[in-house]
Amino acid sequence: MKSISLYEEKGTMLNRTAPESKLCYILAAVAVPALTGNRWAGIAFTVCSLVLLLAGRVLRKALPMAAVSGFVLLTVVVIQGMFRAGNATPVFSAGPVVFYREGLSYALHIVCNIMNILLGFCVLVLTTKPSDLIENLVRRGFSPRFGYVFVSVFQIIPQMTETMSTITDAQRSRGMETEGSLFTRIKAFIPLISPVVMSSLVNTRERALALEARGFASRRKKTFLNEETKTAADRYIQIVCLLMTAAALVWRIAAWLT
Amino acid sequence: MAYVTAEHLKYKYPGSDALALDDLSFSVEKGELIGIIGKNGSGKSSLCQAIAGLIPSFYKGAYGGRLLLGDLEVRSADADELCSKVGIVFQNPFNQVTGAKLTLYEEIAFGLENMGIPRPEMKERVEAAMAFLHISEYRDRYPFDLSGGQMQRMAIAGILAMRPEIMVLDEPVSQLDPQGRREVFAAVRSLSRQGITIFMAEHNMEQIADFSDRVMLLHAGRLVAMDTPSRLFSRDDLEEYGVCPPVFTRLARALGIRKADGTWPVTLAEAKELLSVHGTAFRGCAHE
Repeated sequence: MKSISLYEEKGTMLNRTAPESKLCYILAAVAVPALTGNRWAGIAFTVCSLVLLLAGRVLRKALPMAAVSGFVLLTVVVIQGMFRAGNATPVFSAGPVVFYREGLSYALHIVCNIMNILLGFCVLVLTTKPSDLIENLVRRGFSPRFGYVFVSVFQIIPQMTETMSTITDAQRSRGMETEGSLFTRIKAFIPLISPVVMSSLVNTRERALALEARGFASRRKKTFLNEETKTAADRYIQIVCLLMTAAALVWRIAAWLT
Repeated sequence: MAYVTAEHLKYKYPGSDALALDDLSFSVEKGELIGIIGKNGSGKSSLCQAIAGLIPSFYKGAYGGRLLLGDLEVRSADADELCSKVGIVFQNPFNQVTGAKLTLYEEIAFGLENMGIPRPEMKERVEAAMAFLHISEYRDRYPFDLSGGQMQRMAIAGILAMRPEIMVLDEPVSQLDPQGRREVFAAVRSLSRQGITIFMAEHNMEQIADFSDRVMLLHAGRLVAMDTPSRLFSRDDLEEYGVCPPVFTRLARALGIRKADGTWPVTLAEAKELLSVHGTAFRGCAHE
């Protein structure tokens, strides 16, 4: 199966949890630290996400994603630690390079927030089938058209990539250089654009006709083949997450008013 | 009694000067299997899309005349009415995969979900369509991983599950290997036996002659003839319309072997029967 989805079926509790509960969790994980401005809230949610990923047996898959952003975060730590305006208290130095407490503290705050958001989304993306997520959202009133666009992208992009490699092979068989230096590859890419774009447009039009023939434009109320993904705990998870977000919002408004 | 009726049907694509469908009038009875032939650009696909209602609902342009599917006039019918009445299968099976479902089973149910069919009935219809097209064993397969023939049968099953009274097949086997073709034609034959009215555009004259009750010959958007395969393929002017009769017909013509009614044989069975009769006669002549 070729899909760009990162979902992995592990048969865990997290796989069975309703996608809306995970969306509520992301909302709370992002909104509570942002609204309260409390670094410990961000750290608590980061730890919670790590525990959930571990329980969902997808922590190993989340680590490379964290590592990719790790490089960016490292540059944040270096730049803020050395050059942030208001840096006054040196913590350590390596030759001429001096790191300051104020800058490092600010960088740590950014790192915590980004890791919190990243791991929160990992909980959703790695344990939820995209089609289940959209199907549940459509049940709640989300537009089926937007839902289709979102879900189909996961499958159609790999198919387009395959078409592109077929066209590349065809061009190569006619003597076009497609491998070698960066310049050679860029030069080879240009003649590929037209056939790839044209075939994609033709395919898209044919697919639109096929969808039309299968009632995609129907105004009837949609039904669903699969039953809704839901566990007994879902209701409580959603209530707790929404209450936490609401409490953080009230706290923020109260802080502004006083 | 006529079930599908076209009265002076005309259609011109937006931005085009030529009529894609030019004053077509015909009538088809319920349960008939109609083959549609003609060279490229003769209007086969346009006619298929007009019968399926995609012309004029999807393609705009100039539309004239009337096309009736039972008591439903295509021009004024809405998408829901058309989907329930008529289904269309296109030539490229790959482009008929929705890309929104992860298994063949879910893929077949896509149209039923859109039509708001209740879940128990949906499951029963999907099971029946899979069994009918002999694809139940692939139910958990990823749609894009299927072979061309399996994918095309899945596309047919997706339409069949919607229980249309009319099915339109626009060159459904043009991109398939011989095994895939056999699978799809066997499915079409079974569908026609179920009483579904079928329109099938196709370039393979042997198959058209073998399967169709009647054949429509189109040229430059006009209906040249609509007759039984035997009578249509016995015409002397087929080459003018870019149509090559079935190989059995050409062989019989070369040998000068006609049927009793004066037409040429168009299927293997007919040719074999005639050749065996004439073969006996030839052998008799040789003995004398």
